[in-house]
Amino acid sequence: MTEITVTLTKEQRITLFRNLVRADKFGKMMYSRMMQGKLIGFYHPAEGAIAPGVAAGSFLTNDDILFPHHRGHGITHMLSKGIDIEPYIAEHAGKSTGCCEGRAAWHYAYPDNNVFGTTAYIGHNFVPCTGFGWAAKRNNRGQIVMNCFGDGAMGTGRSHEGLLLSSNWQLPIVHFCENNGFAIFAEVEEMHPTAHLSTIAEGLNIPTTIVEDGQDVFAVAEAVMPAIERARSGGGPTFIEAKCLRFKEHDIGNRDLRGWKPREQDEYDAMLKRDPVLVATERARAESLFTDGEIEKIHEDAEQEVARAVKFADDSPVESPTEAELMATLYAPRDGVSF
Amino acid sequence: MRELAYVNAIREAIQQEMRRDETVFVVGQDVRGGVYPHTLDLIEEFGEERIVDTPISESAMHGTAFGSALQGYRPIVDFMFASTAMTVFTETAIMTGQQYFLHGSKRPVPLVMTGAWGIGKRTANDHAMPIHGYYSRAPGLRVVIPSTPYDAKGIFTAAIRDNNPVMIPWCTGIMMLKGDVPEESYELPLDKASVKRAGSDVTVLANSEQLQFALKVADKLSDEISMEVIDPISFSPIDMETILSSLEKTNRIVIVDEDWESGGFAATVSARIVEQAFDLLDAPIQRVCFPNMPIPGGYMEDYLRPNPEKIESAVRYVCA
Ligand SMILES: Cc1ncc(C[n+]2csc(CCOP(=O)(O)OP(=O)(O)O)c2C)c(N)n1
Ligand SMILES: [Mg+2]
Repeated sequence: MTEITVTLTKEQRITLFRNLVRADKFGKMMYSRMMQGKLIGFYHPAEGAIAPGVAAGSFLTNDDILFPHHRGHGITHMLSKGIDIEPYIAEHAGKSTGCCEGRAAWHYAYPDNNVFGTTAYIGHNFVPCTGFGWAAKRNNRGQIVMNCFGDGAMGTGRSHEGLLLSSNWQLPIVHFCENNGFAIFAEVEEMHPTAHLSTIAEGLNIPTTIVEDGQDVFAVAEAVMPAIERARSGGGPTFIEAKCLRFKEHDIGNRDLRGWKPREQDEYDAMLKRDPVLVATERARAESLFTDGEIEKIHEDAEQEVARAVKFADDSPVESPTEAELMATLYAPRDGVSF
Repeated sequence: MRELAYVNAIREAIQQEMRRDETVFVVGQDVRGGVYPHTLDLIEEFGEERIVDTPISESAMHGTAFGSALQGYRPIVDFMFASTAMTVFTETAIMTGQQYFLHGSKRPVPLVMTGAWGIGKRTANDHAMPIHGYYSRAPGLRVVIPSTPYDAKGIFTAAIRDNNPVMIPWCTGIMMLKGDVPEESYELPLDKASVKRAGSDVTVLANSEQLQFALKVADKLSDEISMEVIDPISFSPIDMETILSSLEKTNRIVIVDEDWESGGFAATVSARIVEQAFDLLDAPIQRVCFPNMPIPGGYMEDYLRPNPEKIESAVRYVCA
């Protein structure tokens, strides 16, 4: 296996920084809207853990296929890929203008952006991703698959099967494990016998990269870009393990335990110093990426974008189709569907 | 007309659709070698890119079909034994069934799932079990079982061309059943029952090997009782219209299904008849199903499963 190393261009760093700030603002807005009762379903906040998703999503083409991780309900990954964000917020508010017509709540799909919709079953990301990879390889036009999941998914047999087939068939898939150390309360150290989850992929002959500091969006991107390149050029799958933090409880309203005991205050205090926006801002300043004015502008733009999306969701009606109307859409017609 | 065995009628449908449409492919275990003859030698014509073998990884095997269907391919995922699809029930039933509707009815999932089941071969529960009852409870799937060679070819062809996930569990009891099959390709409706024998005294619903049994009983009783034998074909959605219009004529019904008695097709049809057409009934509905126990592998199958004697006695009971 040939090592591909990358140095991010200034333009790429700017893209990452901008998407990171956007993801942070959207995530915080979602958290507060959940508290206000304006989001439906569950909310699993991504706060503190947005760097991996931004790095995974920012350099995909529209034709590339993305299976976002559920944390933050994938908004981090998807906004970085370039989806239209307004129907997303509307969907999460149960509105008829939502990307799934208000039927999915938090399992959104954007087929035109090659995001085909998620499921709540942990580990089932490996199911469609195998077929996406199979199709991408046969399509033979340089398409790749970004398959995102948490450490918890690595406990399922599905992960083994998906990794196995991707290796057997040398599929153009980036397996992207966002290891935040927890599956709800369960600590990864307790649930897995090895220091790194990527060991599992190594056993199946898949090249692996461990990003020790998954709080640093630039560091994650430096691992992601060669993996994308490998997949695109016919070099097969890569397994990336980005170690990151989870600032909040697993899902809003739940307790925040480590194993079965509350997490210590020290842990929260220390974590906050590793806030991904803080880390990126420090690096951007140190490397003279932006002026303070430019940074401010990025924050302002993101705030306006969030405000527009919120207004769109709030102004949209709740749809109440009849049972018969819904029933009529259960099966796809023979004619008039496009792929 | 030319005769074909049931399993070869399936093969001909797959072969003709693969010739017609580049996006059609088969994925499964040992489909290159053809554990069951419906994929035998297809590898010679279509190569490994379209006759795809996987390890014993039902989840990823189904995933190959599910994910590629979302990219516009038309996969046929062959579970060899229908019951092995049950090892990945969330994938095959829940995820696949809900995908189109829950995501706003935009991107369809055109895939065919298939596998063999069959009671009466002494193979015991794991291999023998019918799965259509389980799968017909997953909204968004079509669940169909063709029971003649002619229907097998037309149903498989239509299923491959359909834009929805279609589960076709086929029965080994009729695998070598011969019948007339046209050489050219044709489609049959996926959601319509088929009247296999017209009659006026009693409606009998039966599928797979039980359809053959029911037709035999109809012959045997023809001097005494006129049986209308209907093959339901579609288990989801159920074609109640055909069933109820037959009942209007006969006012009596026997539902034969090798699925377990509890909670399956026979139970659903009975409930709907009671709700929608209670006044048509001149006798209680009779169901002839498998008792609610795991299917034993030995010789007990013969007297536990529905059989011609049980069908006859149910028919005589409602006509008495
Ligand atoms: C198959 C399955 N089992 C259990 C659950 C309940 N559940 C939801 S999220 C979760 C933890 C997931 O942890 P991980 O994959 O590490 O992602 P994280 O939430 O930490 O980002 C569990 C157990 C589920 N949704 N699906
Ligand atoms: Mg986790």
